[in-house]
Amino acid sequence: MRSSRIWITGVGLVTALGPDVATTWPRLVSGVRGLAPLTLFDTAGQRASMVASVAPAYFEDASREGLTGDGAARAWSRTSAFAWKAVAEAMTHAGLPVAPVERSGDRRRLGLVVAGTTGGMFETEALLGDLHANPTSTASLVKMMSQPLTATGDRLVSRFGPFCRVRSLCSACSSGANAFVVGALWLLSGEVDAVVVGGTDGLCRLTVSGFNALTATDPDMCRPFDARRKGINLGEGAGFAVLERASSAVARGASVVAELSGWAIGAEAHHITQPDPSANVAARLIARSLRRGGLSPRDVDYVNAHGTGTAANDSMEAAALATALGQEIERIPVSSSKGQVGHMLGAAGAVEAIFSALAVKHQLVPPTMGLEEPDPACKLVHVLRAGRPARVRAVLSNSFGFGGMDTVLALTEPELGPPPARAEHERRVVVTGVAALSSRGLADAEDAATWVDGSLSHAGAPAPGPLAFDLISQLDPARVRRLDRPARLGAVVASRALAAAETGTGPIDRAEAGIVLGTAFGNLEASAAFMHRLFDKGPRLVSPAEFPNLVPSSPVGHVSIYLGLQGAAFATADLATSGECAVLQGMELVAGGEVDVVVAGAIEEASALVEKVLACLHGGASSGVPMPRSRARSEGASALVLEDEEHARLRGATPLARIERGYTWTDATEVALEAPRDPGRARVVVGRDERAAKKLIGTPWDAVRRTSLAPFAGDHEGLGGTALVAATSMVHRGLADEVLVVGTSNGRGYALLLVMYGLR
Amino acid sequence: MDLSLLKQDIKQLIIKELNLEGRDPASIPDDAQLFGALTGVADSPTVSLGLDSLDALQLAMSIEEKFGVRVPDGSEARSIFASVASLASFVAERTPAG
Repeated sequence: MRSSRIWITGVGLVTALGPDVATTWPRLVSGVRGLAPLTLFDTAGQRASMVASVAPAYFEDASREGLTGDGAARAWSRTSAFAWKAVAEAMTHAGLPVAPVERSGDRRRLGLVVAGTTGGMFETEALLGDLHANPTSTASLVKMMSQPLTATGDRLVSRFGPFCRVRSLCSACSSGANAFVVGALWLLSGEVDAVVVGGTDGLCRLTVSGFNALTATDPDMCRPFDARRKGINLGEGAGFAVLERASSAVARGASVVAELSGWAIGAEAHHITQPDPSANVAARLIARSLRRGGLSPRDVDYVNAHGTGTAANDSMEAAALATALGQEIERIPVSSSKGQVGHMLGAAGAVEAIFSALAVKHQLVPPTMGLEEPDPACKLVHVLRAGRPARVRAVLSNSFGFGGMDTVLALTEPELGPPPARAEHERRVVVTGVAALSSRGLADAEDAATWVDGSLSHAGAPAPGPLAFDLISQLDPARVRRLDRPARLGAVVASRALAAAETGTGPIDRAEAGIVLGTAFGNLEASAAFMHRLFDKGPRLVSPAEFPNLVPSSPVGHVSIYLGLQGAAFATADLATSGECAVLQGMELVAGGEVDVVVAGAIEEASALVEKVLACLHGGASSGVPMPRSRARSEGASALVLEDEEHARLRGATPLARIERGYTWTDATEVALEAPRDPGRARVVVGRDERAAKKLIGTPWDAVRRTSLAPFAGDHEGLGGTALVAATSMVHRGLADEVLVVGTSNGRGYALLLVMYGLR
Repeated sequence: MDLSLLKQDIKQLIIKELNLEGRDPASIPDDAQLFGALTGVADSPTVSLGLDSLDALQLAMSIEEKFGVRVPDGSEARSIFASVASLASFVAERTPAG
């Protein structure tokens, strides 16, 4: 890890207050409220419809550009259109070229991290509505595939690329803040020289109906921290920022908005929708974010609170701030922007991080609008009616999401804290436990190799569709009633992998262990069922219990609660390479010092809807999404316990394998794969798509014996995680010295090199 | 409306909607406390099912769907949701006889 300061050198915003930073920021500070009854779709029967919408005029240039509208060939969702605008503003502000003609120079060191929760759900809902009315329509099915979770990232690549690394992530309402952390880790590891990070989310029927069903909404304008507060107003928009190392910003003459000095990600492991009233985890993360930045509560001059306006969040947050900041809380102004821009869900953390950076830059603290009678349970220094000038050295930005996924960022004046310290030791990532579920059953490090070693050559094709495996038999029946099928699949493999990692050794401290799970489509099947209920029965009869399960990060939340995992927790998405992507993300968290231990893997549920969509796509040539359709889609899950080698040594664990390298690339970049030391003792495992092996042509790996997992273990988008479990098993059992797992999908690729422990 | 049949229906609804898989309706006493910490043994009068506010919302929605009776939000709901018996009385009072 390099020791380096990280600067924000460009920001872009699209909110209900305006189409850009120049409009939004002064209106935020002066107390303008962007709230009005929703007009984007019919809200008849909805309990509440007060929202902060982005006016069509704010992104009309997206339709002029041909991005949105019925005429657009592959129309951008509103969510993606917001992102387009905010990214263009942030890159322009940072002085990075945005027009294609200017991009002939070296753009190979620029990364992109996109956070969100609903993606193109608004557009998908219309398609589900068509499908509801006409179940045999295939036109809607084909279009539905144009809005997976990764769609925003892919479209941004098409306009602003090339990027050398692209990641899509979700942790519900903390997603946007996590994009900043992921980007910061890329800068610190030297993988990129600059990275565009942010979040984007559009209003849709699903979130409006869902939060109403949870009675978490205020029918009137919301009142964060007020004694009379009733809940949230949803909002929409996007916030993106350019992050870079201070040294490179100075070298190219870029000016700094603020320094990203500290951060912390964690999970409450408490409840899928309710915050933990003890506020223990939130307080711990606030303290840790300051520690990471070498800061103390005395340096903090403002807190941009999560401040949703729900009874439970605001009192928990006030308690967390009091615990973490001690007496200083009596001095530090705290405000929530949600009474002005609404709760922007996946965008909220990014937008509010940008507000925090602007507070530092302009030495102004924005207000909490809607707050008139402060709740005694939220004893804070409030900023009422309008913002005000203040000395602002350091700002904390809190983001708390469904499933208890919390992130805290610390934004400061440049060079406020001490120079970041180097890691105490070179962090090397080892695998200490694995488990995978496929139609062949549940496997661990002892037997997963049999899925790729030829043992199954005559076993017949794997069964497609749902696994026959009895998931409950592996779980505590008393604690799984809230877990839907994807969460149960995840809980089985994660608990098995953790148990393996703890066998015969000291236990892993669950409070410090994180979890990252990959998904290709999120919970499309359950989202469709939720929407069909809305269409059939109206907003009052949608399922409140089902709603939290529709966020793409829901299985992560459920599994973290089930297993008590309180380290960094979020979901990543990358279509057919969702497994490889999640494990690489887990590796980055361990190598970057965010966690000592992380459970990483992927889950794909059998889904009749996904099957139908993919079958349509296979018939049509226009999709551009590489999906091999020679096999029926199966179901499966995988989990690897990734651990800092030193951490594993100290608790007496013997690693199963070491991850020597993790590579990712895009169509625009080249990677030089490390050569196998002994090709005869090496293997290549491809998860699902043989085309991934093209990347090996011209390298020594092309001559290495190669196995494809899908024909033996069943085919699904998360299969790369299962391939990594099988690869771990191979080197653990001495069947190979090193195994390269390679996967490609939609212009991106991954290769992870596992080596026998102790070999290098 | 037959109150004992109604209680039986409500118990089945609780088991189905709140995923209390494998639980027998007969194991839920009429006066079992529905919400709060999970306590006691199945045949104790102080048993609680350990349900929470998210369950209350799901149950309110499914009561409305099945019986056409709207359960109010907030503090009023607390006494209605105290037990199967109180919930059944609330529903019975608001549904046509027979």
